[in-house]
Amino acid sequence: MATSKGSFSVEDMKNVQINIGAVVKEAEEWDQEMGPFPKPGVATLRDWDYKIMNRYKIMYAPADDTCTLCTFGPCDLTGDKKGACGIDQAGACGKIVLIACLMGCCAHAAHGRHLYHWCLDKFGDMKFDMGDEILVDSPLYQTIIGKKPKSLKDFDEGLAYLEEEVVQLVAATHTGQEGYFMDFESKALHTGMMDDLGMEICDLLQIVAYDMPRGAADAPLIEIGMGTLDQNKGVLIAYGHNLAAGAEAMIYAEKNNLWDKVDIGGVCCTAFDLTRITETGRDSIVPKNLGPKAKIAGAMGWWRKMVRAGVMDVVMVDEQCVYCDVLGDAQKRKIPVIATTDKIMLGLPDRTNDSVDQIVEDLVSFKMPGVAVLDPTKAGEIGIRVAIAVKPKRAEAKIQNLITEEQFKEDIKKCTTCNECAFVCPPHIRISDLIAEANKGNLEAFSSMYEICVGCGRCEQSCPQGIRILDLFEYANRQYIKNQKFKMRAGRGPARDTEIRAVGAPIVLGTIPGVIALVGCSNYPKGTKECYDIAKEFVDRGYIVVTSGCMAMDMSLYTDADGKTIWEQYGGAFDGRNICNTGSCVANANIMGAAIKVATIFAHRNHRANFDDIADYILNKVGACGIAWGAYSQKAASIATGCNRLGIPVVVQPHSVMYRRSFVGRTDKPEDWMTIDARDGKLQQVEPAPEAMLYIAETKEEAMLEMAKLCFRPSDNSIGRGIKLTHYCDISMKYFGKLPDDWHIFVRDVKDLPLVYKEDMMKTLESKFGWKIDWKAKKILSGPLRPADVSFDPTLISRKIRTKK
Amino acid sequence: MADEIKLDISPMYEGERIRKDDLWVELGGPKADGFELSLATPMDQIEDGKVTVVGPDLGEMKEGTTMPFGMVFKVGGEKIEKDLESIIERRNHALLSYISGLMHLNQRYDIWMRIGKSLKKKGVTSWVQIFKPVIELYKAEMPFIEKMEITVYTDPAEVKKQLANAMEVYKTRDARAKGLHDEDVDVFYGCTLCQAFAPTSACVVTPDRPSLCGAITWFDGRAAAKVDPEGPQFPIPKGTAVDAVSGEYEAINEMAAKRSGGEYSRMLLYTFFDAPHTSCGCFETIGFYMPEVDGIGLADRDFKGATPNGLPFSTMAGQTGGGKQVVGFLGMGILYYFSPKFLQADGGWRRIVWMSKGLKERVKAGIDEDMMAKIATEDDAKDIAALKTFLLKVNHPVVEGVTRKVDNKKITEGWKLEDISDEIKEKVMAYIEKTGGDINIDTVKSELALTEGQFMQVVEALQADGVLE
Repeated sequence: MATSKGSFSVEDMKNVQINIGAVVKEAEEWDQEMGPFPKPGVATLRDWDYKIMNRYKIMYAPADDTCTLCTFGPCDLTGDKKGACGIDQAGACGKIVLIACLMGCCAHAAHGRHLYHWCLDKFGDMKFDMGDEILVDSPLYQTIIGKKPKSLKDFDEGLAYLEEEVVQLVAATHTGQEGYFMDFESKALHTGMMDDLGMEICDLLQIVAYDMPRGAADAPLIEIGMGTLDQNKGVLIAYGHNLAAGAEAMIYAEKNNLWDKVDIGGVCCTAFDLTRITETGRDSIVPKNLGPKAKIAGAMGWWRKMVRAGVMDVVMVDEQCVYCDVLGDAQKRKIPVIATTDKIMLGLPDRTNDSVDQIVEDLVSFKMPGVAVLDPTKAGEIGIRVAIAVKPKRAEAKIQNLITEEQFKEDIKKCTTCNECAFVCPPHIRISDLIAEANKGNLEAFSSMYEICVGCGRCEQSCPQGIRILDLFEYANRQYIKNQKFKMRAGRGPARDTEIRAVGAPIVLGTIPGVIALVGCSNYPKGTKECYDIAKEFVDRGYIVVTSGCMAMDMSLYTDADGKTIWEQYGGAFDGRNICNTGSCVANANIMGAAIKVATIFAHRNHRANFDDIADYILNKVGACGIAWGAYSQKAASIATGCNRLGIPVVVQPHSVMYRRSFVGRTDKPEDWMTIDARDGKLQQVEPAPEAMLYIAETKEEAMLEMAKLCFRPSDNSIGRGIKLTHYCDISMKYFGKLPDDWHIFVRDVKDLPLVYKEDMMKTLESKFGWKIDWKAKKILSGPLRPADVSFDPTLISRKIRTKK
Repeated sequence: MADEIKLDISPMYEGERIRKDDLWVELGGPKADGFELSLATPMDQIEDGKVTVVGPDLGEMKEGTTMPFGMVFKVGGEKIEKDLESIIERRNHALLSYISGLMHLNQRYDIWMRIGKSLKKKGVTSWVQIFKPVIELYKAEMPFIEKMEITVYTDPAEVKKQLANAMEVYKTRDARAKGLHDEDVDVFYGCTLCQAFAPTSACVVTPDRPSLCGAITWFDGRAAAKVDPEGPQFPIPKGTAVDAVSGEYEAINEMAAKRSGGEYSRMLLYTFFDAPHTSCGCFETIGFYMPEVDGIGLADRDFKGATPNGLPFSTMAGQTGGGKQVVGFLGMGILYYFSPKFLQADGGWRRIVWMSKGLKERVKAGIDEDMMAKIATEDDAKDIAALKTFLLKVNHPVVEGVTRKVDNKKITEGWKLEDISDEIKEKVMAYIEKTGGDINIDTVKSELALTEGQFMQVVEALQADGVLE
């Protein structure tokens, strides 16, 4: 076996390779020395976690005050009571948080593991190359593992490490293992970091294998919406998160010239990843420019609405975020279902080894409602062939499944205004009001509530009259569904190194007030429009706005006066006044990666196996804030927790109390805000910046205000602080008609004050807060917590204290 | 007198576009004259807070009108002097743009403004209502402005007249800025604005060496240090030069040592090779030395491809940033390319062999005329071999050795063969045999890819071998 210089293989021991001087070689290729924490174990970064938790106190709001996890239970944990195993309420809450995060982390990691095997099978090992514009090509991997992957195969090491950690973490949740809440939370933070790593591996694998855009600010505009699916063709929907089978369907359609007969739409993140494939086709065996041929049917929140709208002929499900009743819903409407991964098999027969012809025949003749085919290539071919062949056969069923005017009128007459439906509706829609309006002949109420409805179907289950409420919605919105056609930017992948360098200075100077990341699933408190409103508010204010997943899709459904979506209104760069779509759920890792890249590219911090140092840098210096406005799944919980460990605060929507905890700083406790000045090691009390790590907001207005506040950092210089305070005060004035109560605690100097409010604020500082002001020189003489000092080097880690050479 | 109206003012409106359909009045721009001018004025000649309109007022304008427009800001204060005028004027764009319903583009005699219908709806009828808050904004941003008065010109003849005056002022200002060199001033300015990100970064800004981020000129540094003595920009009394050609000053060395926390002890202004300036991370362009041709290449942030040394901007920038001092790589601001002291110790433009095309186009006015055609771009050379061929063809100074302009000292020897291989000897022999000894230096370059000096090196070696006489 031929090997590269400096290594050889041992005969008769396949796969064993001994590298001589490998460490030396690594050092030559990477100008950074190995950092202190390569592959940190469960307890390695516990010190850092405690630093976060000591400042940002955990607040639990348990949804359940019993523990039912073992047969000792159920144990009452109210008051000071302990469970039979000895666990207290806080511990039980911490355990549930950890379990939720583990579910989320595993969903992404398992997706990554599947793609790893699939990509190596399909493409063989490929060089890991993110192009000339992205040299810090795997920021999380490098920060956590301490190595640079060189080919797809190298990612195995990262996955194996992650899997080992997850086994340890799950073990800690067993009865009789971990019992202390803060250690559960430390483990949850570790899980969040594992999730970051799993997502990054997953996205990098698919970017390289499928030649997805490598940080392209001008990634193509693609079609989104139910109305984009051509009803003259057979429509195949690929639903879930794993592109493998959907991509195979596209390749099959391309190679067999079937695009005039079939349309492929994606739902949830599979949609994104299909539209990202083969940007140029450079190293990939996949045909060129394939991505934009697929359409984004919509976010997962639209699934049930889509089914009822009758826009599809066959559905292929892969993994994550798939409604459990997909089969029943589809069967009722004669939509064949193909399950393509072992994560979701829906009770369907596994026909992976049967002939394609036979399976197609069985599905097209409705002999069976669905099949499981775990070979993506086979599943892809079946999907396309069934879509084309079943379309004419479904024609009648399709019409029958849409309710008629008569049926609509019949149903709305049945309503007794018992309001059972409103009680179970997550956004509390007063459905009886909509029906009352409809009875008067006005469908407008049904139309305006269509986007607020999350499509969960609980209303139909609770209705004693058996009214088909979701069908009523569909009927009232037929025209909208037909016209639901918008443009959005395909997932661009990571931020380029050059972009990071370009925004480094404006972030320091404050002309870019922060990085806002909108991530998460459907079920927004007041509908999808809030995604658009939040994104628009911050992009207009010159923030760098990044987004991904379902939230990115949902904000695409609105236009400005010129009929342009947010993607057409603004550029797609990682820059102020731009909005970038990083891609699917796993592409969230690119957002965390960008924060790491600010530290390592712009500021030259060594990130190699140096997680806490980088997180400390981000916490103190990079004004970034995430928002999960439709924080529906456990994945959202683990993503948010991963952000927190990296020093990025997150705002979540009101339903997130279901995750039972928040991390909130106590501004009344000076000792919580003591920070080391790395220049000389002195302790300095800093303003509460950022004030919280996990904040639950009740309304979008409150969320936006909090996000503006959570972009403050101790290292802000006066220009930056001035601009950040301006936006904080501005948003408060705009939505609450007054300045925020706590603006003054962020003021260190006159130069920090927003221009527009400066004069009034100085007066208030003097009269209300007793600060001393020299009016002639327009200077603050006393009052602030500390002076503004541009060279202040805040850190929470004592090893960062500089020693004179 | 028009009533005071509460305008919507916020930085979020900077960048707001007013489209045709939303347009009330268009000012200046491509279809009409326009200008803006700030004038340092003695305190007793300013009526603080006053706004005068010369010509028809805003309320009289029909929707969709385009009109000439001029604005003169008289500013006064203890610390205000002529050199601050342009600094104040440059804030005009941002501060005016903060007003919702007002769009301001470009600067000086190029201004293009649009007033939106939204302001009309709000009840705005006069320029006074718009410019009164502008005075407040200025005073809040620049506390050294003690008095400010604004005159708005809308009468076409008056705008023309005032524009001519303004052109004279711009001209005088530019002449002063252009004519001001490092030897003319006693004080340089330091800047540690980037230390929040790059703790050992310490910038020096001089008239001939603007900041590498492109954000701060000597005038800016001076204004900032004056206005805010405790701020991140500070004066460096220059003292005498240790070496005027390379730009070494004792005072700068001391500053570098202090501000970098002892990381560096020397920092030179006009060179690549000996204790160069630190590079923070936000530099607009990067210079890189290519030993194979003994010349310097330059690439800007927007250049995506690989430079002839095989490395794209990002790789080189990665090795150079973070407040480091890296011999052979240097972050530079765009304005530095227009400086007469541009890398003067290294030969200045005579040492530049390659530039990214976009950058070359952008700074062409600064490039020495005789060097213009001799500097390759990505169109001419994508790798070192192609670059060598190009430089030979154009007879670039690095080929035979660079004599630097500043003191006529020859600082490089030109290309030399380090190892005269048998292969080269054979090629040269074959060439001499073919031409019968009738040597044409152009064909030596094109056929053998050798300089005259290198050719002679081989000939001498052949003579030493006794092959040639």
